[in-house]
Amino acid sequence: MSEHTVATVGELNDGDRKLVEVEGREIALFRTDGEFRAYTNWCIHQGGPACEGSVTGTSDAEFDREELETELQWCKEGEVLNCPWHGWEYDIPTGECLSKEGAKLPAHPVRVEDEEVVVSL
Amino acid sequence: MSQRAAHALAETTVVDTDVHITVPEETIATYLEEPYRSSITDSPHPMFPSSSWDQRMGGKIDDYFSTFTGPEDVREFQADFEIEYPIINTFEPLGKFSQPDLAMSLMRAYNDLLLDKFLDDYDFLGLAAVATQRPREAAEEIERIGDNDQIVGLYLGTSGEYPPLGDPSNDPIYRAAEDHDLPIVFHGNGEEFMFDFPLHNKGFNNYFEVQSLGHPWQQMATMASVIGEGVPAKFPDLNFVFLEAGIGWVPYMMHRMNKIYRMRRSEVPLLEQSPEEYIRDQFYIGSQPLGEPNRSEDMKRIIETLGADMLMFATDYPHWDFDHLEELDKYLQHYFTETERQQILYETPAEAFGLSI
Repeated sequence: MSEHTVATVGELNDGDRKLVEVEGREIALFRTDGEFRAYTNWCIHQGGPACEGSVTGTSDAEFDREELETELQWCKEGEVLNCPWHGWEYDIPTGECLSKEGAKLPAHPVRVEDEEVVVSL
Repeated sequence: MSQRAAHALAETTVVDTDVHITVPEETIATYLEEPYRSSITDSPHPMFPSSSWDQRMGGKIDDYFSTFTGPEDVREFQADFEIEYPIINTFEPLGKFSQPDLAMSLMRAYNDLLLDKFLDDYDFLGLAAVATQRPREAAEEIERIGDNDQIVGLYLGTSGEYPPLGDPSNDPIYRAAEDHDLPIVFHGNGEEFMFDFPLHNKGFNNYFEVQSLGHPWQQMATMASVIGEGVPAKFPDLNFVFLEAGIGWVPYMMHRMNKIYRMRRSEVPLLEQSPEEYIRDQFYIGSQPLGEPNRSEDMKRIIETLGADMLMFATDYPHWDFDHLEELDKYLQHYFTETERQQILYETPAEAFGLSI
């Protein structure tokens, strides 16, 4: 496993991301709620540049069987990454794919050391 | 029929999930409330429209339909086709009627006739007719007849239905069905292609084209609507049965809807799993009219894709495009185990319809 400094802490505010190339691989660093996370820029669907897609929220719904009414809610604002090729959704905090159960973005360990963000590959 | 097939059939319990009783207009008139009874008996304007397509090609295909009207006809069919459990329905799709009140009256009339002529004095299993023009009134009808042990499902034509059947306005029907443990049985209709696809009906030059597309288009539209509106997620204990479009369209739709779901998940947030998972959990498919691939192993693969826990046998008797059991059984006997064969012919419909047989 190799370690790479990819950014300084001050470089990214909450909601920011930075794309870097490490050992020939495109890695995306995200900062959400103060936490850093790194994923390979590769959608498990068809290999699209998932980490370059828009960051949004997503919809959730609840059905009231008694009233026969469906309530739509907008949730996870700022935490959902959408692959620009086909819209597959990923949860940025966990890397989990919301579009296909059990699928995830390839994730890499991240640590902060002396105000530098270090990613392990 | 080969000796081997005849022998095997005799030893196998067969559930036929689609047997239509023919109800002459003057007969249903006697079960209708006024003013609709007189609309049939005293009006020169036919209540039941015809598309004018000649389905039986000037008589080249025989008519089994017009004489299949009574319980004894069903008994004779059972003996001839070796069907132990025919699940009978009153056939007429009710979605096409513009007058909601007429549709509601017809729904109740068909159900009264089914009970009176076929269920009360015989041990047949039947599907109750449902008209969707007034969903809450339809739910009341399900309350009225849904506890009868011989009513094992609810029959909804998928032709002429507007809005599409997954629309939330139909939820009272689905809730009542789930409350009574009755599966929703969707049934397509080629004659009624004119209601759903009037431009194509007018544009096509022969019935070959209409018959090729009518049922699958109606069933695909219904499946897309029901899945897209999250109906199986809203009613997780409800089963859905699709009849009369064959089976090849089902893998196509499962895989296509999986793909679209993964691209547009946030548009259908009621779905908590892929369309294929809902279909495998809650949907059942009748075999008729089974496609006829030139290479029989192609049908083997389609049957395998559906699985013995989704596929059920259906004849569609007495309609002109019915399937004899031999049509499906030749594949089951050649390619599948006896356990899988029994599942398809007997156990899977018993599960889908909650039959205690």
